[in-house]
Amino acid sequence: MIANLIVGGLAAGCLYAMVGIAIVVVLNITDIANFAQGEMAMVTTFFAYWLLNSVGLTWWQAVPIAILFGLVQGVIIQQVVIRPLIGSPVLSAIIATLGLNIVLNSVAGLIWGHQTYTFPSPFAFSAPFMIGSVPVPVDAVVSIMAGLAIVVAMTWFLRFTWIGLGLRAASQNPTVARMMGVSISRSSAIAWGLGGLIGGIAGILVAPSLFLDTNLMSALLIKAFAGGVLGGLHSMIGVFLGCLALGVAENLVGAYVSPAFGEAITFIIIIAVLIVRPEGVFGRVKVRKV
Amino acid sequence: MSAAADIERAQRQALPFGTGPILLGVCVAAACAAPFVLNGYGLYVLNLTGVFALVALGLNLLTGYAGQISLCHAAFFGVGAYATAILTQTAGVPYLLSLLVGGLLTACVGAVVAVPAMRLKSLYLAIATLGFGVVLQKIIFEWRSLTNGGGGLALSPPVIGGYELRATGLYYLTLAVVTLGVWGAWNVSRGRTGRALLIIKESEIAAGALGIPAARYKVIAFAISAFYAAVAGGLFAYLVRYIHPENFSVGLSIAFLSMVVIGGLGTIGGSIVGAAFYVIVPELLRGIKDAPGLVFGLLLVIVMVLMPKGLWGLARRIGRRA
Repeated sequence: MIANLIVGGLAAGCLYAMVGIAIVVVLNITDIANFAQGEMAMVTTFFAYWLLNSVGLTWWQAVPIAILFGLVQGVIIQQVVIRPLIGSPVLSAIIATLGLNIVLNSVAGLIWGHQTYTFPSPFAFSAPFMIGSVPVPVDAVVSIMAGLAIVVAMTWFLRFTWIGLGLRAASQNPTVARMMGVSISRSSAIAWGLGGLIGGIAGILVAPSLFLDTNLMSALLIKAFAGGVLGGLHSMIGVFLGCLALGVAENLVGAYVSPAFGEAITFIIIIAVLIVRPEGVFGRVKVRKV
Repeated sequence: MSAAADIERAQRQALPFGTGPILLGVCVAAACAAPFVLNGYGLYVLNLTGVFALVALGLNLLTGYAGQISLCHAAFFGVGAYATAILTQTAGVPYLLSLLVGGLLTACVGAVVAVPAMRLKSLYLAIATLGFGVVLQKIIFEWRSLTNGGGGLALSPPVIGGYELRATGLYYLTLAVVTLGVWGAWNVSRGRTGRALLIIKESEIAAGALGIPAARYKVIAFAISAFYAAVAGGLFAYLVRYIHPENFSVGLSIAFLSMVVIGGLGTIGGSIVGAAFYVIVPELLRGIKDAPGLVFGLLLVIVMVLMPKGLWGLARRIGRRA
């Protein structure tokens, strides 16, 4: 019983984690909490669906194209909306992404309507793994593996490549980074491109478990933020584990404590953790010079 | 911009001497005359603008001045609405008194929320306050004996001094409260508290070095802000005359925050302009057939991209040039 609940929680948590990683890439480099991340991923997923059903590509052909579309989408949005806002109060940019969220949602509604679609997955009909006597859905395993792969790849990219180094410099101290020849607006564009790309992967992996409609991501977005905060937004692996923990906590609280207060209790746990660790479980408190 | 410049700006008059009071007078006169010109629907929209402007005024003290993001203002709004409604309807307290009591009660809730908020910053604070919002909304929903839970509360028109408040009366009440709210926010923001909050936003360490207790002022800011939201909630409850826990969800909190940012962070006029934008524009767009959401979202993006300091920043610039 409890093992089943934990597995179910992990499966839900890895959906949050996928969105959470996309958010945190943009957040850590540009300081902007991207409220449009979910809708960007939703549009990318619909694009993949269109490639599959109307163009007639196979899953393995459609998905790389769609992910590339996600990247381009991110860069375009950064150029049009975020670039003019570099140097303005961060809250202005956040509210702009909120507007973008509404725009993308309505555009998708106009193009694809408000009905639900089922998104195919090559893993849908595989038999679940058995760990002991607990069945583990293959979808969840694929999502967790993909999430881990993205975390490792992003950590490597940010730590061991020149571009990654520039991105980190740009986020740590824009003024000095600029003096060292790092272009702030290009860093921001790269961050948004990466966010769009990871968001696209997230959408495509999430869509088969939920149904594909224009509100695909709205429930996940807040949970992804909450999980990220729980783990610590400055650590990529912290966000990943925080989101998984959030999924498990929700499931266990819902089953054992109180179904009605499940969400509320989960948030109380998050607040309690934040009181003890204000920067999340894996967060390091930054030492600030006065 | 440095805190010093912020404070200097707050103390300075934005407009040439005399123009400000005249403009203000024209606005107040127009607001007083509105019930004679507008139909019932127009009056309702204007009344709702006033109610949201009150929330935005309070939230702006917290976010614009003290730099603290809150995503639980919808819940404060809801607690105020329910407290006022229950006190008036069930306990038989006079309406104006229950507005005040509801406000004070919610101010205490706000102070409690502020305690864990003292150590948190930016997005961590946003998520923690969002959590409080979810919890408060859930409590309203589940405390069925008091709030009637998911059934909602239907309210009869309030009575003040034997006179039953209909749409027009309620409108004038809102107008009076908003005027009081502007006066209060003006005094808070230009006084000792406002200056302290601006320094805290800039650097808590600097504030501490100047002998400003950051923790105490953050609690004060949360309490005042919650008070504003709750009084607005009390007015809202009797404006719509049917309240339901779902009215006070996270989406509304995000809308409040958007109002403040669109209008202009750290400005009093901006709170009112932002609320007006958020209430009136969607009503105007309702006529557009396909996508009111699309146009509204685009407007939101365009306003932010072209005027990162909000609509009030633009108005101020035009005013100075004229």
